[in-house]
Amino acid sequence: MMYKARVEVGLRSGHSDPEGETTARSLIELGYCVKSVAVSKIYLIILEADSEEEAKTNLEDMCRRLLANPTKDHYTFQVETAK
Amino acid sequence: MTPHKARACILRVGGTNCDAETKRACHKSGIEAEIVHSRELAKSQALLSYDFLIIPGGFSYGDYVRAGAIWAKELRAKLGKDLEKFVEDERPILGICNGFQVLIEAGLLPQIEGISVYPQAALGTNMPPGYNCRWIHLSHVGKGNCVFTKNVDANSVLKIPVAHSEGRFMFARRNEDKYIKKLLDEDQLVFRYCRRDGQYADGEYPFNPNGSFFDIAGICNSYGTVFGLMPHPERAYHRWQLPDWTETGLEPSYGDGKLIFDSVADYLEKRF
Amino acid sequence: MTPAIRRQASLELHEIHLLDADHKQLRDISQSLSLGLDLKEMKAVREFFRNKGRNPTDVELQTIGQTWSEHCFHKTFKGRIIYGNDEIESLFKTYIFSATNEAKPKWCISVFEDNAGIIEFNEKYAIAAKVETHNHPSAIEPFGGAATGVGGAIRDILGVWANPIACTDVLGFGPLSHEHGKLPQGMKHPKYLLRGVVAGIGCYSNNMGIPTVNGSVFFDESYVGNIVVYCGCIGLLPKSKFARNAKPNDFIVLAGGKTGRDGIHGVTFASAELTEKSEEVSRPAVQIANPIEEEKLKRAILKVRDRKLGSGITDLGGGGLSSAVGEMARRFGCGAYLELEKVPLKQEGLAPWEIYISESQERMLLLVPRANLKEVIEIFESEDAEATAIGWLTDGSVLRISYEHHEVANLSIDFLFNPPETVRIAEWKAAALQEPNFHEPRDLATYTSKLLASSNIASRERIVRTYDHEVKGNTVIKPLHGKHGGPNDGAVIKPVEDCWKGIVISCGMKPRYGKVDPYWMAASSIDEAIRNNSAMGGRRIALLDNFVWGTPEKKDRVGSLVRACEACCEFSKAFETPYISGKDSLYNESPLGPVTPTLLITAIGIIPDIRRAVSVGLKSSGNPIYSVGKTYAELGGSEYYHLKGFLGKSIPKVRAPVAKDIMEAIVTAIDAGCVRACHDMSEGGLAVAAAEMAISSDHGVELWLHEVPRSSDANRNDYILFSETNSRFLVEIDRNSADEFESITRNVPRAVVGAVTDNDRLCVKGLNNKMVMDITVDEIRKAWKSGLDIEI
Repeated sequence: MMYKARVEVGLRSGHSDPEGETTARSLIELGYCVKSVAVSKIYLIILEADSEEEAKTNLEDMCRRLLANPTKDHYTFQVETAK
Repeated sequence: MTPHKARACILRVGGTNCDAETKRACHKSGIEAEIVHSRELAKSQALLSYDFLIIPGGFSYGDYVRAGAIWAKELRAKLGKDLEKFVEDERPILGICNGFQVLIEAGLLPQIEGISVYPQAALGTNMPPGYNCRWIHLSHVGKGNCVFTKNVDANSVLKIPVAHSEGRFMFARRNEDKYIKKLLDEDQLVFRYCRRDGQYADGEYPFNPNGSFFDIAGICNSYGTVFGLMPHPERAYHRWQLPDWTETGLEPSYGDGKLIFDSVADYLEKRF
Repeated sequence: MTPAIRRQASLELHEIHLLDADHKQLRDISQSLSLGLDLKEMKAVREFFRNKGRNPTDVELQTIGQTWSEHCFHKTFKGRIIYGNDEIESLFKTYIFSATNEAKPKWCISVFEDNAGIIEFNEKYAIAAKVETHNHPSAIEPFGGAATGVGGAIRDILGVWANPIACTDVLGFGPLSHEHGKLPQGMKHPKYLLRGVVAGIGCYSNNMGIPTVNGSVFFDESYVGNIVVYCGCIGLLPKSKFARNAKPNDFIVLAGGKTGRDGIHGVTFASAELTEKSEEVSRPAVQIANPIEEEKLKRAILKVRDRKLGSGITDLGGGGLSSAVGEMARRFGCGAYLELEKVPLKQEGLAPWEIYISESQERMLLLVPRANLKEVIEIFESEDAEATAIGWLTDGSVLRISYEHHEVANLSIDFLFNPPETVRIAEWKAAALQEPNFHEPRDLATYTSKLLASSNIASRERIVRTYDHEVKGNTVIKPLHGKHGGPNDGAVIKPVEDCWKGIVISCGMKPRYGKVDPYWMAASSIDEAIRNNSAMGGRRIALLDNFVWGTPEKKDRVGSLVRACEACCEFSKAFETPYISGKDSLYNESPLGPVTPTLLITAIGIIPDIRRAVSVGLKSSGNPIYSVGKTYAELGGSEYYHLKGFLGKSIPKVRAPVAKDIMEAIVTAIDAGCVRACHDMSEGGLAVAAAEMAISSDHGVELWLHEVPRSSDANRNDYILFSETNSRFLVEIDRNSADEFESITRNVPRAVVGAVTDNDRLCVKGLNNKMVMDITVDEIRKAWKSGLDIEI
């Protein structure tokens, strides 16, 4: 089976987010009432697995091994079957 | 019998770009070094024929995902066992800038309880953000454990440049106290960003150029043989590389970066 | 609609009905296919195919359009110009090439011949240098446009087998304070453009590990609609490894990135004015940068070079394959045969003409003798880079292209490189300008502070720090030097390990003077580039000329171009500094008007021993400060007038014989070890030069204006302080070497005009020997450092 996953990796709260802060400043400068900006990365992954369960296990592993650094990042993902 | 001459392997992949000057610095300090493509080393499995491994600066694999992450996982996957043996043998490993990022992402530093599967620290986006190329001061806080700073006097101040956009050393918040205590207890904290007079930067920009926690610029493992730092010692090897040599003159003819290469050269000579 | 029929073939190939086309149809064809050809050119094309007795294919027409574009062929510079009663055969031949050709210095190895100029460094090595513009792409997409500009300049260096060792960049933007509301639709704010361009340059050169060592940023109202992005690169190559000996049957190898739809018609886009619609229409013309790909390409090419496996090389830039293949065939007096289906593609479905003119980045073309192909391909594979033989050189002079066994082009190379001569009309009228009339201000210190904080003088530190200027560990004189990060006049690099010889890199650009007279603007740019070089100890200087001008169909634009070229010729000869490479970018016009004529002169010198190189920071209190060169009341176009809201008229001239003597005297004094610090006097004049020397150091300075060598009309304190007269230096001399320095400089105007002090002040005594300025260095340093109003 082919699965389509959307993985989001962002900064854990508690760490300062220079990218987000800079973007927020810039948006405020342009006149928007922006309170804060958090920057995340989205990975769209097409993968093969025998079951959704297996796909999820693989994705969990991908996140822990490469896509996120647990020291500073959190991650979430959604999986659906791909056509 | 001819004495064994220690050999260094300077690894590179696409995007590595400080290999040539790092090799030059090794040679000047009497270390024989060759530049090897990471893929070649994976193919030959010859890591253990070297005595010293260097991961130089650059933008390995474009620093996609996170700086150093892709290369780190590749090294662990392809050289895993040999890499662990290399560390256990107390053969030195040096990671400069992108190389430091690789060592952190590979779990080879800080080695809170030995080599870790997942990173125990991170080098995050600079605070203030953006690429920053500048000369900074480092306070040598090591107490003698690190084999790369044996020739550096305790508490002395070194001048070496940084150039990166992801160099903010951090631990997970909940681990900060525990880990920093471990680094101090085991003499793993080597360099902290400081002011010209040696006072710690205390997070203040530009003395601490990236917002690193505890002003951390360079750390080693508990053996003192795996060492990573954000500044580039190979760019501070000669006096004429310094930003103020036209004011301060060309004597002595070397810069502070030389001390690091000389220290490890001494270690290699004694050991092998 | 273009009258075209689709060929009976399994591919996207059209035949264009050209043979019977009337004038209107010819114009329509040029327009609808974005060929950018005018009627005269279209008629020549029709004539060519009439003689062949067939209609052209789309591949052929596109190839001609690309090759004949202003961007690729430089037809204004090569064409005929009617200038009043005079006729100029070719600006390039008459003014630029002749200046070099007359001198024919032995150390010039390749000038205006290859992708980059090549000059000697030492017995073993040569220096390659190239500067490009990337204005239009950067205006539409600043990050990608600037990044690919850097990538292109680097590939030009690789295109002569040289290892890129340093980058330069010179930028022009509208004032950062420009009101958002005043921008026409589709035009971006200078701050946005500056951030994007700087990020793009940094991304490319940092990722490739090439230090960005020199540059400048100039702000001008005319740049609001026409930003200026010059990207330069310097390379080093072992002379014995330079291969240019291709023969028929040598393979044509395409190396590097895959080919896609990005960058189609980039050159036609560059050869037209920017309009409100440029943004949406031109997006596909902007290429996507991948510096890591180019880094791998570089490693592979240098390996091929070192093993002497190639017989020729060029980069793929504007016009893509169409321009590179034709150029290579012509260079070696060959024809070429290509199989376009062999080109590795990014996506399916590209028509042959798209493949042939795509400007996808990070691609190079190598010529490889048959026996070496396998080894070359293996080298590329070892670097994770791709290389594919897509054809070979042939006997004769015909370019034949096939696509899956269909012939899609058959063109004579002679025809391709002999477009109808372009004729431009030039006209020059001096602008009706007046010298302003005002009293000498009392608060000269305030003016000095304001000048230091003004956009064209303030510290570029915020920009420079985002570029890695230290990578490779060879940067000896840095863009930010000393404890306080003072500004240097240029950069010195030490490229070869066991050799103290260095390369000295500097530039000169005086856009505001061009508003008064492009002749003196060009002369001043040359003088500035050379004096910046001399100030650090550079000599045996080679120049690169890069013109950014308006639309050449307009008479006055060509007129000012002619004036600038006249000065280029005259002063290159006077200084004995040959041009080795150059480029022109025309059509820099937008709904807001034309770009102010902008000439960038890049100077490449050498210094026998980098340990003798001199920086700007003051070194030791008690040392005398000399002003070298005579100060005239030349304030037209100056920063001082600009601050007061004037342009004026009295722009600086260059007095050639004495100017050359001054430069030489400075270099001789540096070699003799007399000079502790040296700074050229430029924007902001004596006041700013003295201030910058103090800012860079822990010392103060005292000046005595009554001692300054000057003309009789330089009779006011503000004139002496702020005049921008060319060929002047402010020099700190070792107090024990003063006699020797005076002896060296005995034939040029110079005098002790002050001293280095150990207090933190800039003090100036006026013509009446009374103090006219007293300000702390800390204060002016702050003004200078915070002047540029932008966070990067």
